Amino acid sequence: MTHDYESVWGYRLKWAYMLTLVGALMLPVFYTLYISFNYGGFGAARYEFTWLWYRTLFENQEIRATLSWTALIAAIVVACTIPMAVLAAKFYQRTRLKVPFVFLMLSPLFVPADVTAAALLVYFKNLNAVAEAAFGQSWFELSLWTAVAGQITWCLPYAFVVILVTMARFRPEQAEAARTCGANAWQAFWHVEFPQIRPGVLSATAFVVILSFNEYVRTNFLKGGFDTFPTYLVSYMLNTGMTPEVYAMAGLFAVVSMAVVGLVLVMAMTRGRA
Amino acid sequence: MSAAGTDAMTNRPTPTPAAVEAEGITKNYGPVTALKPTSFAIPAGRYFVLLGPSGGGKTTTLRMIAGLIRPTGGRVRINGVDVTDQPADRRDTSMVFQGSALFPHMTVEQNVAYGLTLRRLPRDAIRAQVLDMLKLVGLAGFERRRPHELSGGQQQRVQLARALVLKTSVILLDEPLAALDAQLRRDMCFELKHIQESVGITFVHVTHNQEEAMTVADEIALIADGELVESGTPGHMYESPRRRFTAGFVGENTLFDGIVRHDGAAASLAVAEGLSLPLPPAPGVDWASADGRAAAVSVKAEDFRLAAGAGAEPGAVETPVEVVDAFYLGFSTVMHVRLPTGHAATVRMATRSLPGRFAPGDRAFLSWRPDAVRVHLA
Repeated sequence: MTHDYESVWGYRLKWAYMLTLVGALMLPVFYTLYISFNYGGFGAARYEFTWLWYRTLFENQEIRATLSWTALIAAIVVACTIPMAVLAAKFYQRTRLKVPFVFLMLSPLFVPADVTAAALLVYFKNLNAVAEAAFGQSWFELSLWTAVAGQITWCLPYAFVVILVTMARFRPEQAEAARTCGANAWQAFWHVEFPQIRPGVLSATAFVVILSFNEYVRTNFLKGGFDTFPTYLVSYMLNTGMTPEVYAMAGLFAVVSMAVVGLVLVMAMTRGRA
Repeated sequence: MSAAGTDAMTNRPTPTPAAVEAEGITKNYGPVTALKPTSFAIPAGRYFVLLGPSGGGKTTTLRMIAGLIRPTGGRVRINGVDVTDQPADRRDTSMVFQGSALFPHMTVEQNVAYGLTLRRLPRDAIRAQVLDMLKLVGLAGFERRRPHELSGGQQQRVQLARALVLKTSVILLDEPLAALDAQLRRDMCFELKHIQESVGITFVHVTHNQEEAMTVADEIALIADGELVESGTPGHMYESPRRRFTAGFVGENTLFDGIVRHDGAAASLAVAEGLSLPLPPAPGVDWASADGRAAAVSVKAEDFRLAAGAGAEPGAVETPVEVVDAFYLGFSTVMHVRLPTGHAATVRMATRSLPGRFAPGDRAFLSWRPDAVRVHLA
């Protein structure tokens, strides 16, 4: 919709600018997708459409294992991060030290990924040494859980911000009204506040799924004896170069991420209409 | 202000415990005092209004009765039971908020039913009670609507139904009509009063609007600057306020501050050089001993009379004035006048009883009966 007194050409220019920008950014991704369906792969003399590379991908036991690991980690990270983010947002409303608290919550974003990852790696190694000396147990050996911990430090700030923004729109007198109707604090939250922040919780969940699914640096440092899809993709590329399988993996990666975003958009739009 | 366990209007001990009793409740936020120690008792079945300017402490008082904020000191009792340490959901009270307190994701029916579903009543019983309440507030047929599909007045009716359906012994209303336009507010006032009379539940209603307070209240408590200034029936607050602040806040009064002078026979209030107002006999006041004391008097705008010539009202106190401005309001006309001493006074007269139209700058005579003067020693 144009503003009544806005120049039509200014309006068209904005659209042209946006489409060019997005196009320029996304073009390599679409090109990768395009190549991934080519029988000859990159640099072939002629284009021949095929599902072959995707089929190879899914027939590869190793890759299927990495996909399961990736999905499992994403599920655990969501299950931990979302309640933590909701709690943090609730705490933010109560605390009087709002600025320091937000800074603390967002601080993982200010530290480079490899620094966080290396620091956590050293931290877990030390903890493990202590646990082994004190209890004879290697509780902090690199494993699924150390990778999950690393990813939570990365996902929590985003989930916190998304939920906080939705929560800010909630009118606190509604929770008070619930209390005066006889609801205890938990019931007031669960019956009245939560249904209203649900869209924020959903977007935060989608966001965390994508962040977890795409995470490479921390996972690579902190994972146990397994590979996630990104770590596998990178090591595969480093070992074999850009084979047609790599294009297929990259294509799969892009499609899944965009599908998650698309799903959230569709849900948001159907909710808005209802 | 009345002692605990007594009727605030008659000061007689109440036979049954008061519906709401505040005993020295106070609220401090760090160094800021929102409410100084305040005590009052509201007998069951009374429509009680907490009236006062914004930020005076009336909403703080109401929220302490509701259990939404904890008093810094003092006790709150509902039906004689000390509930000071109980949160809102454990008290025999329900509440209507200023606005947007309906649950937007629920229908009207679900909103009203919410408290009953928490009590795990059978579904049929809940539905029957909800429909009854919606009928009582004039919203039968609106069950399936969502709050955003209702007007401001309808939303407040739903809130009232949501509070009434719980059959609590007290309903608290925090500026329930403040978001409505003037005409609707007036109609809703009458309706609130009718509903309260028909259900017989104790209502405690917070407002800054004195017309609203006068319309609904059996008893008004004026709260300002964190303290209970004065309480009484609307008639008392309007006709014979004890405190100077009450006279300034309720009604349309002209106030004069001065020093009591007693010459052995009659008392007067020396307001300024050349302005001395005769004081009527006041019950319980010995003017002779009050000589030299600071006091204030007030006169209601409708107790003044403005005439073009002197001596229009025999036996009245009279002073020449200059008309500052005059506003024709239909039934009545309001005129602001200035006394020779510079003091301002507000006069309201029935338009048809005016001898003619006064214009700014006109010379006129202001008169009032001596017994129209109310004395405020505090």
